[in-house]
Amino acid sequence: MPELAAERAALQESMTFLGAIAGGLEQALGESANDISYLAGKRLGIKLSADAPRAADLESALETVRQLLVDNGCLWHFETFKPHDRVDLVEVTDAGENILLVFRDCMIRQSLFRFGHPQKGSLCRLMYGFFAGALYNILGEDSTLDIIHAGENACLKQLTIHRTCRQELAS
Amino acid sequence: MVRMTLHERACRGCEMCVDICPTQVFSYDRERRIAVIDHEEDCIACLSCSYLCPSGALQHDDYPVVKNFYRDLEFTRKIEKFL
Repeated sequence: MPELAAERAALQESMTFLGAIAGGLEQALGESANDISYLAGKRLGIKLSADAPRAADLESALETVRQLLVDNGCLWHFETFKPHDRVDLVEVTDAGENILLVFRDCMIRQSLFRFGHPQKGSLCRLMYGFFAGALYNILGEDSTLDIIHAGENACLKQLTIHRTCRQELAS
Repeated sequence: MVRMTLHERACRGCEMCVDICPTQVFSYDRERRIAVIDHEEDCIACLSCSYLCPSGALQHDDYPVVKNFYRDLEFTRKIEKFL
């Protein structure tokens, strides 16, 4: 038990350190800090999904991403969300296919709270990068993960798969 | 499913919950000058409205509480490999 308490203390220190790095990066680099976190997340996404099965549709791809996170012990649990006035879970727009995701347990949010750092900053881009990297491997498409709302107990994000852009580029 | 209660006598009609809610769960009743829960089914339990409400008029029940994993022993074990 004392060993575990020491690990817990180490974890809390690491989270504070992570928050401090993010805070420092944002202060020193401004918006460039977002790109650094995004690229780190993307690299992680590509690495963890290297052997993941390929998927043809967005819902299967998300299931694969969820499994990847569980298998790797990453606390980024998410679920799809369909508001009452939305006809389909996946909506097709000019920008591509989009879907709403709710994130509950999140390592980043907890680190930010631990450090007392505001949400929607550079560390949140880590998640965006992770999805972009993993979905590129699984679906073969570019994607964006926009933060609609960052809350205390859950965050709402919109994932867009840019199939249309790719088709336009090809034609 | 998340259950929400708005204590009407406590609501001051500041509309902060209406503004902060990302899924438009609330509307504002201009006649009674209070917020109204319109679409409880759309609540994602981010709890922003509850944290923001100056008079503590909002209550959520049956919602998934996120794990403060740095306090939770099971999650600490999982994170151990990153340390």
